[in-house]
Amino acid sequence: MVGFLGRRIGQGMVVLLLISLVTFFLINLAPGGPSAAARFESTAEERAAIQKQLGLDRPLLTRYGSWATGVLRGDFGATLSGGQPVAPILRQRLGTTLQLGLAALVLSVVIGIPLGIITAMRRNSVLDHSVNALSTLGMSVPDFWTGIMAILLFAVTLKVLPASGLADMSAGFSLSEWLRHMILPAGVLAFVMLPNLVRFTRASLLEVLGADYLRTARAKGVREGRVIVKHALRNAFVPIVAMIGLILPALLSGSVIIESVFGLPGMGRLAVDAALGRDYNTIMAVTLAAGFIVILTNLVVDLAYTVIDPRIRHD
Amino acid sequence: MTRAATVPPAGEVRQRRTGLLPRLLRHPVGITAVLVLAVLYAAAFLGPFVYSASPITTDALNTTASPSAQHLLGTDELGRDVLARLLYGGRITLTISIVSMVVALSIGSLVGALAGFYQGWTETLLMRLVDTFMAIPSFFLILAAIAVLGNAPAVVVTVIGLGFWPQVARIVHAEVSKIRNFEFVEAGRALGASGSRLIWRHVFPQALPAAAVLTTLGIAWSILTETGLSYLGLGIQPPLASWGNMLQNAQTYFWVKPMLAIYPGAVIALAVLCFNLLGNVLRDLTDPRSRF
Amino acid sequence: MPRMVPLLFSSLVVLSAGLVSAQDTGGSINFATTADPTFNPWSPTAFVESNLINELIFPGLTRWDKNLKPAPDLATSWKASADGLKWTFNLRRNVKWSDGQAFNAADVAFTFNEIVLKKELAANGGSTWRNAVTKVNVVNPYQVDFILSRPWASLPTYLGYFAGILPQHKFAGVTDPWKFTDFNKQNPVGTGPFKVAQVISGASVKLVRNDLYWGGKPKLAAVTFKVIPDSNAQLAQLLSGDLDLISVGNPETVERIKAAPNLTVDLSTANVYYFVALNQDDPRFQDVRVRQALLYAIDRPAMIKSVLKGYGQVATGPIAPVQKGFYTKNVQQYPYDPAKAKALLAAAGYKPGPNGVLQKDGKPLIISMPTAAYQQLTPISLLVQQYWKDIGVQADLKTLDWNSYIQQVIVKRDYQASAAWWSTPADPDVLPYYDSSAANVGNNIPNYKNPKLDALLEQGRKDTGTARKATYVQAQKLMATELPYLYLWYPQSITAYNNRLTGMRGVTLPADFQYAAEWSVK
Repeated sequence: MVGFLGRRIGQGMVVLLLISLVTFFLINLAPGGPSAAARFESTAEERAAIQKQLGLDRPLLTRYGSWATGVLRGDFGATLSGGQPVAPILRQRLGTTLQLGLAALVLSVVIGIPLGIITAMRRNSVLDHSVNALSTLGMSVPDFWTGIMAILLFAVTLKVLPASGLADMSAGFSLSEWLRHMILPAGVLAFVMLPNLVRFTRASLLEVLGADYLRTARAKGVREGRVIVKHALRNAFVPIVAMIGLILPALLSGSVIIESVFGLPGMGRLAVDAALGRDYNTIMAVTLAAGFIVILTNLVVDLAYTVIDPRIRHD
Repeated sequence: MTRAATVPPAGEVRQRRTGLLPRLLRHPVGITAVLVLAVLYAAAFLGPFVYSASPITTDALNTTASPSAQHLLGTDELGRDVLARLLYGGRITLTISIVSMVVALSIGSLVGALAGFYQGWTETLLMRLVDTFMAIPSFFLILAAIAVLGNAPAVVVTVIGLGFWPQVARIVHAEVSKIRNFEFVEAGRALGASGSRLIWRHVFPQALPAAAVLTTLGIAWSILTETGLSYLGLGIQPPLASWGNMLQNAQTYFWVKPMLAIYPGAVIALAVLCFNLLGNVLRDLTDPRSRF
Repeated sequence: MPRMVPLLFSSLVVLSAGLVSAQDTGGSINFATTADPTFNPWSPTAFVESNLINELIFPGLTRWDKNLKPAPDLATSWKASADGLKWTFNLRRNVKWSDGQAFNAADVAFTFNEIVLKKELAANGGSTWRNAVTKVNVVNPYQVDFILSRPWASLPTYLGYFAGILPQHKFAGVTDPWKFTDFNKQNPVGTGPFKVAQVISGASVKLVRNDLYWGGKPKLAAVTFKVIPDSNAQLAQLLSGDLDLISVGNPETVERIKAAPNLTVDLSTANVYYFVALNQDDPRFQDVRVRQALLYAIDRPAMIKSVLKGYGQVATGPIAPVQKGFYTKNVQQYPYDPAKAKALLAAAGYKPGPNGVLQKDGKPLIISMPTAAYQQLTPISLLVQQYWKDIGVQADLKTLDWNSYIQQVIVKRDYQASAAWWSTPADPDVLPYYDSSAANVGNNIPNYKNPKLDALLEQGRKDTGTARKATYVQAQKLMATELPYLYLWYPQSITAYNNRLTGMRGVTLPADFQYAAEWSVK
């Protein structure tokens, strides 16, 4: 187990190093340059001064070297768009994205797994087909489109939910306020993820339901509901946990658009702004953070297997 | 060596592959999806020969016009023919989605097949590479790449394709690893068939159904990705039309001219829906018990 | 698990009931901005997202009155020396910074000598200032002298144009003012009617009334700027009542706003003009007939009707009609006339080629025209491309993102034609955009060089009274004939606001923000 952990962590570090190398050299080749050095109204002299201030007049390798040594000391540098340290900004934005991602994940799980179970139990029923149709349709509509429609309906027409932004927590945390602001973006994000989970739960369960030991249980007169809960679900759980691990990168990707639509100050929007503004240090930090989260999740999911299904061992 | 080619595939594998196309065409959902897609493709690639309006000619004096005999679906904010733009935009969007999947499929299959067949350090190295790319949420990767390389159609195609290849590699790797140990491959090996020959002639074709399912779903994904990139202003750029940038453009006019958004939105949803349905049907047909 | 769903819904209902009472806290309004602001008007990382906020925090020596003329703000009066090389400003007494310290001449000298005029800092607009101002001397705590290297009649106007004064005492010991993030991003200190109370990165900036403001207690208790980059989201929030004022970038939406009974649409004119720049390094465009032909070919009224929905007027030069004392209509006009355009091009030696594209000496008239996916530049370029195509000129359009566009067009001057706009103070001094010395390295984007125009614009900086007007009338006539830029139009600025907001002057947004102490809510 310890060996497994050590190996995985080592591999993760190598992956992060590769990500940082690829990203650094790619973004520095991009045309345009940071916004401060690419102002419409600035003169050649001003631009040269800014290049110097930002250290962009140094060779690329030197810059990677100083960036990497900084990171090893825990210093991600300062944003090129305002001179602030990147790390606190990233932490703050990551917080928003995690709130959004977790809320969406919870919504998907809470709605998706029961739907998957029901459709598996009532295979080929009207319910099964309509859930399947609906979820396939949900997968097929661009998420920003769903988001804009949701804003139009709930904020502009019905005026029951805020159109965008985060809850104002200056007067202390309020769960209801938080929910009011989070329900639309998380709902839309979940809507996109949901179909995968429903379909996957259904398939996993169906596979287990056909297994011999369940047939035996049924033959022994155990009620179907009990068969599902006591026997089938437990065995179907492993792949479902795996699926949740796979959903996470998708949630992160989805957050880029959802945060833009709903004006949420999350990591996704930070990535878009940084990419458009050529804020090199921020792009690096965001990419590394995203990679780190995904690697970590994969590890946790693998470990979760052992807990759910003791037959799986890592050594 | 010639005999190696005649070693019959294992029964189970062969059965899965026989008559896939006929079965797809007999499947009510499958045939519907195929037909609708056929219509969309025909419209995009042949439509402009029938409907001769130009998708790029602007007319400042006839903007956001209602449908007329001259402009069957009216004109957009610059007086361009909406139907013509839908047809040409379809060409771009549908081409992008397919070509990007060809990119993903080629790289993914190559890497996956090599890793699956050779094992050892080749496998470890290649699969760690796959993990690296899987670890970066694809949209972040695409975003960074577009920022670097610009948004010429060729770049968008490649970058979207690169966002998907690791998934193809994984599936192909898994399939090839499974098939690798089947009798007929071992027989071939025993008979002295070369590694590459075995991969391309025997092992790889067996992994195709799974890859086909993934590709079909991948095409749907890539249409949505292009749309999302357009939403962020990073997709295909004007004067070229794509369904994505038409939808993005129309957002501003949503309040006054909702039809401008509804047309591209509807065709995107329709095309993606059909590819998704097709993928689902293919999956059910190739492997009823599969999970992905 | 299924119990979760009704729970969510019931809390929603309760919440929406609570929403109504949350609004009448009184005296607080919500604006939008597009990104996290930088609280320092001179920082190179302060862009459009920061400009208006900085106006509330950092007043300048002057501000603009209803006619966009300089009026007293931190300076109460000023006068120039006879040779125009020294300007003396008397400063307002009893002004306090929002942290309680007294404001005096040292702050003004610091702002200019240590920030604006320092070449290596590359402050916003720094070159414009360095072009004329050498240094600022403290005469006594309430008087400063601006020492000039060349006369600059427009100095008082420029002092009211995003030229806020910074507190010297806060910057003591700061080596790099742009990295002073505690000030620039969190806790700025200014003399304006509002001060920063809270910054939530990516979400909002809350300003509260500055009780120490010299002009009396501002009527509003708070002004909150929400960070909303997307203009459609801004509009949605204005319609839902979450925002009280937005600047409308796309005139197409005006109709929708007008349909809402609680909203007012306000039109104003600033000194903004759109243009197509033709790179003068390209020998083809050095022929004035070609430049004129390319302008005759564009149906500007039709473009104004479609792109601007009529909210604009045809431009004749860089001095907009809003400058009533200087603008003249009596210059060469270019009504839409494709026939005349073709005739001019024929006179310049261009003959129809095989594929409908005009050519001269066997070379087709093809123009590379980069544009940016920024505001309305792409649609404008697409329309221009069509008009030129109609007379046999082929423009090859390439759409870039904003930063890449600037790199290619502004930095490298790697373009043949490109559409953009200038927004300048309401002042006839346009030297930085036309002077030969600003070609290639400065704001003279088309690299236009004309000694006659240089001399006129230099003369205008020295002249006063009627002589000044005569000089600029002459300059306008010259520019309209010579076409250093192809002038498109003067757009109207469109602002939409909730009727509960009162006290707006309806001049231009930047000028309105200089009088924010007068705003209130019904």
